[in-house]
Amino acid sequence: MKNVIKVENLSKSYGDIKAVKDVSFSVHEGEIFGVIGPNGAGKTTTLEMLEGIIKPDKGNVNVLGLIPCQSLRELNKRIGVQFQATSIQKKMKVKEALALFSSFYKQENQKDYLVELLGLEDKMEVKFDDLSGGWKQRLTLALATLHRPEILFLDEPSMGLDPHARREMWSLIRLLREQGCTVVLTTHYMEEAEKLCDRVAMIYSGELKALNSPRDLLNEVAAHYLTFESDGLGYEQLIGLPGVIRVEIEEGVYKVYSDNQQKTAYHIFSSCESKGLSLSNFRFETGSLDDLFVHYLEKEKIV
Amino acid sequence: MNAVIQLAGLETKMFFRDRLSTFWTFLFPVTMIWLFGSMFVGETMNGQTFAEMFVPSWIGVNIVTTSFFTLGTVLTGYRETGVLRRYQSTPLQPWKILAAHAFQGTVIFGISAVLLMVFGMMMYDLRLPEFIGSTLLVLLISILAFFPFALFLTSLAKNTQTAAAISTLFLNLMLFLSGATFPLEMMPTVLQYVAKVLPLYYVIQLMRGTWTEAPITEYGFEAGVLIGIAVVSTILASRFFRWSDK
Repeated sequence: MKNVIKVENLSKSYGDIKAVKDVSFSVHEGEIFGVIGPNGAGKTTTLEMLEGIIKPDKGNVNVLGLIPCQSLRELNKRIGVQFQATSIQKKMKVKEALALFSSFYKQENQKDYLVELLGLEDKMEVKFDDLSGGWKQRLTLALATLHRPEILFLDEPSMGLDPHARREMWSLIRLLREQGCTVVLTTHYMEEAEKLCDRVAMIYSGELKALNSPRDLLNEVAAHYLTFESDGLGYEQLIGLPGVIRVEIEEGVYKVYSDNQQKTAYHIFSSCESKGLSLSNFRFETGSLDDLFVHYLEKEKIV
Repeated sequence: MNAVIQLAGLETKMFFRDRLSTFWTFLFPVTMIWLFGSMFVGETMNGQTFAEMFVPSWIGVNIVTTSFFTLGTVLTGYRETGVLRRYQSTPLQPWKILAAHAFQGTVIFGISAVLLMVFGMMMYDLRLPEFIGSTLLVLLISILAFFPFALFLTSLAKNTQTAAAISTLFLNLMLFLSGATFPLEMMPTVLQYVAKVLPLYYVIQLMRGTWTEAPITEYGFEAGVLIGIAVVSTILASRFFRWSDK
C-alpha cells in the first residue's frame, strides 16, 4: 500500500503548552483517515502541520513527497482544505465564491459536477452569510474539492450539522474517496469515526494513544462490557467478582467491564441465582469508540 | 492573473453591496467641504480661493480614509474571520490579494474624488486642475505611498477594533496637523515642524500646488518624500504580511 503522508516524531509547542508530542503515523492512498480526540487534544494542530501552515518544532512530515511548510505553494495545488473556523467573505454569493476559487487553479476544475452533486444550483445567488450551517459546510467542501485534490483535509467536517445533514456529509466524503481522493479528517464525534473512517488515530493531550481501524480498536478488550438490569445487586458484590475491572450503575442498568467476560458472566448469573435476585436484558457489548475513549481517559487519571 | 482580476472585481462589487456604508463613505468628504465652505467661502488664503485650498486637500484626505478604513480595517477583519487563512491553503499569492484590494481602493477613492471635484465646481466655482497630468501623477504616487502604509500599520492590529483605533488615530493626527482642515500658518512653529513628519502634508502640498500653481516637476522634494514612503511601506507591508494571528 502506498503512503501519501508520512509523519515521524512530530512535536509542536505553544509557549509552555505541548500541543503535539512525538506523534508518528502514515496515511495510505485512497483511505479515509480520522484523527480523533476530545476538544483541545491537538487534532487541529496536527492537521495544520500536514497542510504546511504550521511549522513543526521537531520531527518530519512528508505529504505527497513534499515537505509541507517548505513547498506550500506546490502542495496547495494538490491538496484541498476545509477549515474548522474560517469563512469566506460574508457578502460573497455562492456562484462568485465558486468562480473565484476556480480561478486559483490552473488545472481543469469540477465546478459543475460539484454544484450538481451538492445540490447547490438553487443557492447560487445566495450570499454566504445567509446560508445555514449545513449549506456553508457544503460550499466550503465544494471550494476545497474544486481542483480534484489528491488529498482532502477536513477539520471537523460535520460540526454543527444536524444528524440528517451529517449523514449526507458522510456519503459525500465516501463518494470523494471512491473517486480516488485520500481524505484526512478530524472529529470529536466518535460515531463519525466509527462509521466513516477506514483507520483512526486517537490522540489526546497531544499524544497518539491508538492507531488502527475502528473495528480492530473495538476488538481490544478494553472497551468490552457486560450490561444487564437487576434490582438487587450491589456495587460491592460486583467489583469483587473474578475479572471485573470497573462497574457503572445507572438507574438499575449495570455496566461491568471485565478482562474475562465469560468468567465474570458466569459469576454474575450464579450469584443472582443463589440469592434469588432478578436478572434481565443481559448482553455482551463490544462498546463504542466513545467507551474506549472514556476507558483510556480514566486509565490516564489513575496513572 | 485571472485570479487577481476575479478577486479585484468581486471585492469592488461587494463594497457596493453594502448600501449604507457606500452612502456614508461618499457623503462624508462632501459634507466636510460643505461645512468648511459655510465658514470660509469668499476668503482667500495665500492667493488661493476657498475651493482651491480645500477641495484638493480633501481629495488627499480621502486617500487616507480609503487606505485605512476601506483597505486596512477590512483586511484586518479578513484576517480575524479566517478569510485570509482560507486563501493560505490555495495557490493564491499574497501580492495578488494586496493588488486586488488596491484596485478596489483606487476605484472607491476615484469615485469620491470626482464627487468632491464636481461638488466644488458646482458650489464654489472650482476650476479643473491647471496641471491635470501632474495632479493625476500626484494621486498615483500618493496611493502607492498610502495603501501599503495603511496595510502595514493595520496589520499590526490583532482585531478590527484595534485596527479601527489605529486608523482613527492616524486619520485625526493627519487631519489636524497636515493643513487639510486648518491652515498651518495658524499653528505654533513646533506643530508646523510636526506636520512635515506626516505623509499627508506632502500629499496636500502637491495637490494644492499642481491644482493651481505649477507642474509636479517644481515639487521634486515633496514627490521624492512620497516615493520614498511608497518604497519603504511596500517592503514593510509585503515583508510582514500575515495570513492569520496564530
